[in-house]
Amino acid sequence: MKYNEFKELVTAAAKARGLEAYELYCTESEEVAAEVLYHEISSFSTAAHTGASFRCIHEGKIGSAATELFTAQEAERIVEAAMENAYFTENTESAFIHSSGDTYENPDPVITPQPSAAQLEELALAIQEKAYGCDSRVADGSLSEAAFLRSSVSLSNSRGLDLTRSRAYCLAACNPSVKEAGELYDSIEIKAAAFQDLNPQDIASKAVKDAVSTIGADTVESGRYHLIFSGKMTATLLSTFFSAFSGVDAQRGLSLWGGKEGETVAAPMVTITDNPFLEGSMIQVPFDSEGVATRCKNVIENGRLVTLLHNLTTAAKAGISSTGNGSRPGYASAVTVAPYNFYMEKGGAGSREDILREAGSGIYITQFNGLHAGANPITGDFSLSSAGFLVENGELTRPVKNFTISGNFYELLKSISLVGDDLEFQTPKGDSCFGAPTILVKDMPVAGK
Amino acid sequence: MISRKILTEVLEKALSTGADFAEVYAEYTTENNLFMVDNRLDSITDRVISGVGIRILKGTRCVSGSCTSLERSDLLACAGRIADALDGVPENRSVHLTERLFGDIHPIRIVPQTADTRTKIDLLKEGYAAARDYHEDIAQVTASLLSFDHQILVANSDGLYTQDRQIRTRMAVSAVASKNGENQNGSCAPGRRMGLELFDLYAPADIGREAARQAVTMLSAGYIKAGRMPVAIENGFGGVIFHEACGHSLEASCVSIGQSQFCGKLGQKIANEKVTAIDDGTIPNAWGSINIDDEGTPAQRKVLIENGILKSYMIDKLNGRRMGMEANGSSRRQGYQWDTTSRMTNTYIAAGTDKNEDIIKSIEYGLYAKKMGGGSVNPATGSFNFAVNEGYIIRNGQICEPVRGASLIGKGSDIIMDIDMVGQNMETAQGMCGASSGSIPTDVGQPLIRVSSITVGGR
Repeated sequence: MKYNEFKELVTAAAKARGLEAYELYCTESEEVAAEVLYHEISSFSTAAHTGASFRCIHEGKIGSAATELFTAQEAERIVEAAMENAYFTENTESAFIHSSGDTYENPDPVITPQPSAAQLEELALAIQEKAYGCDSRVADGSLSEAAFLRSSVSLSNSRGLDLTRSRAYCLAACNPSVKEAGELYDSIEIKAAAFQDLNPQDIASKAVKDAVSTIGADTVESGRYHLIFSGKMTATLLSTFFSAFSGVDAQRGLSLWGGKEGETVAAPMVTITDNPFLEGSMIQVPFDSEGVATRCKNVIENGRLVTLLHNLTTAAKAGISSTGNGSRPGYASAVTVAPYNFYMEKGGAGSREDILREAGSGIYITQFNGLHAGANPITGDFSLSSAGFLVENGELTRPVKNFTISGNFYELLKSISLVGDDLEFQTPKGDSCFGAPTILVKDMPVAGK
Repeated sequence: MISRKILTEVLEKALSTGADFAEVYAEYTTENNLFMVDNRLDSITDRVISGVGIRILKGTRCVSGSCTSLERSDLLACAGRIADALDGVPENRSVHLTERLFGDIHPIRIVPQTADTRTKIDLLKEGYAAARDYHEDIAQVTASLLSFDHQILVANSDGLYTQDRQIRTRMAVSAVASKNGENQNGSCAPGRRMGLELFDLYAPADIGREAARQAVTMLSAGYIKAGRMPVAIENGFGGVIFHEACGHSLEASCVSIGQSQFCGKLGQKIANEKVTAIDDGTIPNAWGSINIDDEGTPAQRKVLIENGILKSYMIDKLNGRRMGMEANGSSRRQGYQWDTTSRMTNTYIAAGTDKNEDIIKSIEYGLYAKKMGGGSVNPATGSFNFAVNEGYIIRNGQICEPVRGASLIGKGSDIIMDIDMVGQNMETAQGMCGASSGSIPTDVGQPLIRVSSITVGGR
């Protein structure tokens, strides 16, 4: 049965059991993707998924249950299971089903037209051919992909909220493998945009250029180096250690910033913003997963921690209002927090080249491997397998890889000495997209040979 | 889940534009997760996951699709969309499905989804309390009791119709020790393809205490100084080294397209002669075990490397076509939303002949990696890295003070040559392995081993 019919059955089941505060949250997604291997389409896939979660306040506590099967039987089951789960839960903190009354911003929705299957296949094939054409060392095993992604979130509750938001855009990716002297070197370039804005030549050229630039990369001597992080790598550090900014983690003692609002936590040129309406971004989010209106705010301003990110429950505990960052990583997940367009603002240290010159010598970091293994969000410690370029006399001299850089995220934010003016963003993931400019951090330990 | 009649119709529809193979994978999974933090049961996640993934092959071209429904009309529509994406010659092929039963070698005594919720809460609280009460420096504990009842059905145009029911239980405790504005954490998360009888093997209190012990130990540790040195890696989760450095590069998904450091090396020496490595999906009740893989092929025990010689890859149907080799029970997917590919099951370095004390004694200055964290690899280049959650300095053949912040990096094809001592205490540990076909349960394992020289990242 369709979602609307299912929703009516769930509502009827909730009313029949005397529930007064409840909510149904539903995510729908569709992905169409074409992948090219060698010179042919190797796979074409269309995937459509739907899932819904029922939450209710029962005996003063929140309980939930979720399903992907929209049947009369499941409508009854999720209501009963959510009530039972609320009964067993011992979480007596304020439970919220949000009331209507917020004023929601009305950003231009990101709904780009859906290309036909043939158009996606043509784009993927074009990227692959351009990649082969860029350099004779591009080897078989290289992959190119084009995809269309559509998703929507609906939230309706017993307090009058009935909200829906959708987004649809395309992704194009090139993952070339370059062979030189029996060794393989690879890279990946991904772009998210409307279909007509994806240029196969640009994507392939950038990917192949990145792979070729790493040919002959070797490790470095162990020692201490000035590290220049590319904007994307700085953004990767922000996303890896995002839990430091989370009100949920802080209240659980899992972020060292709990209660540190107002204190200096970063170098004075560091300002970090969370913006749900950033112009040009695929991420435009007027309401969060609890139905609270979102807003733009500085999280760190000139090195000072302004606020952590909160949902209704953590905000109530902190005695403030929600920052509109309530998030459910999946339709069945409990409410936690997540950022939107979350980025370090441009600094005044000029371009990447200016920063390299200022550093004089060091390593320009362009890649991390195994973030889930080498970074510990609870302690802030990281020891990351990295790759990049050696910097000598203010210029990139040779590619380097197979070394680790070590430090602590909390200490690193304080020891940033330069922030560039070249803001770059990662590929969006869910409702979040991280960005940052090039930064310089001096005198960091590096393990190579 | 779905009748043979409907499956037959769906397969015939999927084949209607000239594919040479069609397959339906259907799933009905219930997931239950009890989560504790701040000394109380914080939340219960409870969900039903259900849908189908359909794919067709024509040579080495694959068209696939999935939908969140088990209804006939939705399945036929999905099969139609897939068939339409293959611009072949229309033809009518008929399919006859014959049921095969492979049996179940993983008995379940207490099916978790039918157990009393109160019983599960009590088990979880026992693990939680043991971690919290371990030491005054323990500042926070989180704990989960996870259970999955994953029912799958596979039908294909070769006439296969088969099903499996995979029940898994796992308790994960994570403890944070805090002192002077610093945090350190430890974790312990045993699991099995079992029901609640898992806790006859692992007392919940032992799980909690182990997580807390690691956190408290690491709180007093200093940072390791970076450099190259010999490393002794302990059994259990230490096996992640083989999983990352070598296992992923033996999966047909990268071998078949020339993106593996071990392409074309069957029969050649790729590892130290001390190394024999096995992927075995047939171990009764092990975390990564399967009766059948996600293409319906029965699980197998595969010797990957024997005394240093490469013997076998892990192969699924599609990549098997690219390689001209048979699938060998290695095709796995998280669920219907992912396209299946070759993956590991329970993968380990077999016990050797060296004595554990000799391995430690042989190291003048190096690292003893008692508990490993996670890791990752680029299968094409073989570059891997992993974290050491609990490490100690070895000095003059003796295990000395604990050190934090260590990671190991290197190249897979180098490190398996450098495993020059292999102990006798083989043990496995549980992990969730993430790759293109989703997150799947896998066991890693090994006895204590010595790597003669490896780069240790630190400060």
